[in-house]
Amino acid sequence: MNLRWTHLAMWLAFVCLMMAIPEFVSKGTLRTLIFANFLAIFAISWDVLSGRTGYISFGHPFLIGIGAYTSAILTKRFDVPIEYAIPAAVLMTMVGGIIVFLPALRIKGSYFALVTLAFMELMYQLVQVIRPDLTGGTRGMSGVQTLTRGAVNGYYMSVSLMLAIAFSMWLLMRTQLGTALSAVGMNEESVRGSGLSTTKLKLFAFLTSAFVAGLGGAFYVHYLGSIAPRALFDINFLFTIIVAALIGGASTIIGPMLGAFFLTFLLEFLRPYLPGAERYFIYGTIALLLYMYEPKGLIAIIDKYWQRTRGTFARKQEPGESL
Amino acid sequence: MQIIIQGLLLSGLYALIAMGFTLIFSVGRVLNLAYGAYLLIGGYVYFTISQTFGVPKLIGLLLAAVVGCLVGLLKYRLLVKPLKGDHVAVEISTLILAVVLQAGVVFLYGDSSKILLPIVPGVTHVAGASVTYNLLAATFASWAILIGLYLFVRKTHVGRAMQAVSMDNRGAAISGVDPDKINLFTWGLSGALGATAGVFFASYTQLSPSMWVAPLIISVAVVIVGGIGSIIGTLVVAHIVGFMEVLAVAVIAPELRGVFTMLLIIVVLVIRPQGLFGREEL
Amino acid sequence: MTPALKISNLVKKFGGLVATNDLSLVIEDQQSVGLIGPNGAGKTTVFAQIMGEHRQTSGSIELYGHEISNDTTPERIRRGVSRTYQVPRPFTDMNVLENIRVGMMPNNIWKMITSPPRHSRETEIALSVGFAKADLTKTPGELSMGDLRKLEMARTIATGTKVMLLDEVFAGLTVAEIAQITTLIQSMRKDGMTFLIVSHDLKALEPLVDSVIAINYGRKIAEGSFSDVMNDSAVRSSYLGAA
Repeated sequence: MNLRWTHLAMWLAFVCLMMAIPEFVSKGTLRTLIFANFLAIFAISWDVLSGRTGYISFGHPFLIGIGAYTSAILTKRFDVPIEYAIPAAVLMTMVGGIIVFLPALRIKGSYFALVTLAFMELMYQLVQVIRPDLTGGTRGMSGVQTLTRGAVNGYYMSVSLMLAIAFSMWLLMRTQLGTALSAVGMNEESVRGSGLSTTKLKLFAFLTSAFVAGLGGAFYVHYLGSIAPRALFDINFLFTIIVAALIGGASTIIGPMLGAFFLTFLLEFLRPYLPGAERYFIYGTIALLLYMYEPKGLIAIIDKYWQRTRGTFARKQEPGESL
Repeated sequence: MQIIIQGLLLSGLYALIAMGFTLIFSVGRVLNLAYGAYLLIGGYVYFTISQTFGVPKLIGLLLAAVVGCLVGLLKYRLLVKPLKGDHVAVEISTLILAVVLQAGVVFLYGDSSKILLPIVPGVTHVAGASVTYNLLAATFASWAILIGLYLFVRKTHVGRAMQAVSMDNRGAAISGVDPDKINLFTWGLSGALGATAGVFFASYTQLSPSMWVAPLIISVAVVIVGGIGSIIGTLVVAHIVGFMEVLAVAVIAPELRGVFTMLLIIVVLVIRPQGLFGREEL
Repeated sequence: MTPALKISNLVKKFGGLVATNDLSLVIEDQQSVGLIGPNGAGKTTVFAQIMGEHRQTSGSIELYGHEISNDTTPERIRRGVSRTYQVPRPFTDMNVLENIRVGMMPNNIWKMITSPPRHSRETEIALSVGFAKADLTKTPGELSMGDLRKLEMARTIATGTKVMLLDEVFAGLTVAEIAQITTLIQSMRKDGMTFLIVSHDLKALEPLVDSVIAINYGRKIAEGSFSDVMNDSAVRSSYLGAA
């Protein structure tokens, strides 16, 4: 498992920090943080699939949407208790994960990315047309049962979920399985040539990604209390997820979290100057420049900087390696 | 009959939209996910020049094409070339760029959609179907441009160099063709085509900051279903997609117009990733 | 004793092209056989069929008496046959040890999660193919062509293979590197590895093989000791014809 106490200590410090935040910040900031938490969950989910195995998903909202819609429909239309609706939603999302996985058996690269994009658009259009009495059609649904009341509770719920997911993914990716998944992303043929079934590995990555996406999607809808197809199956949303993972640092766990918080706060920071969608202009430009400058993300930049300062001052040794 | 006429007209427009995307995919081997942004830029440039400042429409159209061309050239120089060889990085960065450009349009023109006056006003009736001159003009322009492009690729020196690069980058380089120059040229051409298509597309639907998504999906469908970009393949598949949409609207339900396009993409990609017409060179 | 690898009447057609034409060969356990032939003779295609990367049109492939034609590539590897590639294909962002680790992994998701990597065995394999201690944490980008070939062989050894197919092991190597790889193969032969080796560098191949099979147009044209095959008129004319 390759665990070191310094890593666990850092996780502990991180958890304490995140849990203490509501004591120090305003309700408005907390709402922003809640969104950042969910974005981090979605970015981790994207990264498990795309960052590791190299199968770029341009349709991640498809999976998130399945989770969110299933849970919302079950609770609102069929009065299923939330504690059953969410697991059911996660299961449905994993079925969706298998649907996304099937094309990955035959195609890769750009073609795979396009199929997933088509999945997302298809879902967007179908949701509006098929059984609008269930899905709420174009307008979506509101008045979905919420899990928490108030920003503080919402924050605790979202941050606990995010930390739980991040920590379990971190543990999982530190095993040999994590190495194998990354190997698929580097050279799929060589993984087969090493006697490992890439089909099995890919299926696992897709299912895990779908599991996290479904969980995130279901909790998200029960936090918001509403769902709207245009906001969910949206290229801007997709873009935010992918960019969060990439800007933070793909193929790591801390990276997508870092990216999610960076992006969310950048967006909030710009709000007073640019209230509407034009914020994405600055936001996207910064994302693009960062991506062009360092495709491995903020984590690599920090790491480089850390190594340099450590080299210069040669202080007490701390784990500078990326989590 | 009405379906056939509408199908033909819509397909002509789609062929024009998809052409620029096909070119890049064929010559540069990358998916330019910011392709839809050319249409956006073309539409808004034309809107500003011809509708706001009242400059003659033809000049507006030309200027739109010029701006599209410039954006294409810049995109190649600043984005695609530095990321050379990394297809996924190109796709992701062009996707980001598309979002940036969309936000830029929101910044300059606001969020709400605008009506673009028809380029050629008036309506005629063909066999009981009402046809706007505007769409008719778009279709004719589309055919003219496609024929011109076909002749250009087949007959001129530059066109043949493009064919060579699309077949084999290194081989072309050995034969004295500079793939870099050809790529640059193709990106410019693609931008100009996209912007031109954007003017017609915007006048067919409307001008809005998110108008780039639908044409991108159409282009993707055409390229995927047709196989890697041949001009003829593009034309054929644009008609398949166009007719499918018109049929879906007329026979089943208007809300389903895009569903079949999406299904077509998925089915073709999964069953025959090389496309219906296989790999062809331009 | 059952042969390590037995190929019978193997045929592979790509459309109208016959890439492998009724090829039969037998490699006894712990034997080393060279596979030679001019460019385009179909050597790599034979490898691809043994590994299941291409499915043969007809004919059978047996590994230690077991028919493997219906097995997937990973299944064949676990049965004990592996290959290297003309162009090495390492995992670019992983160091030498991690590359070897992938070869050693169990093909079982649960075991991958629960069992820790065997660091000492990884190091042992890396050192056995001739890596220096300092090289173990280098990534493929920092390695020479010779080292990359060693890395491929190390990952192949890590799969626990008994029959190793080497595709153009000497291509792109310096004289010193050829000597290193030769020593490595010799010591592996002593340890009981079975080899099928494709090489254009016949001089380097000679000391490594017990016998040689020559093919042209996918068909076997000669078989026997190295010198017999070299003196065979059909072999000579095939090489001259190709040159």
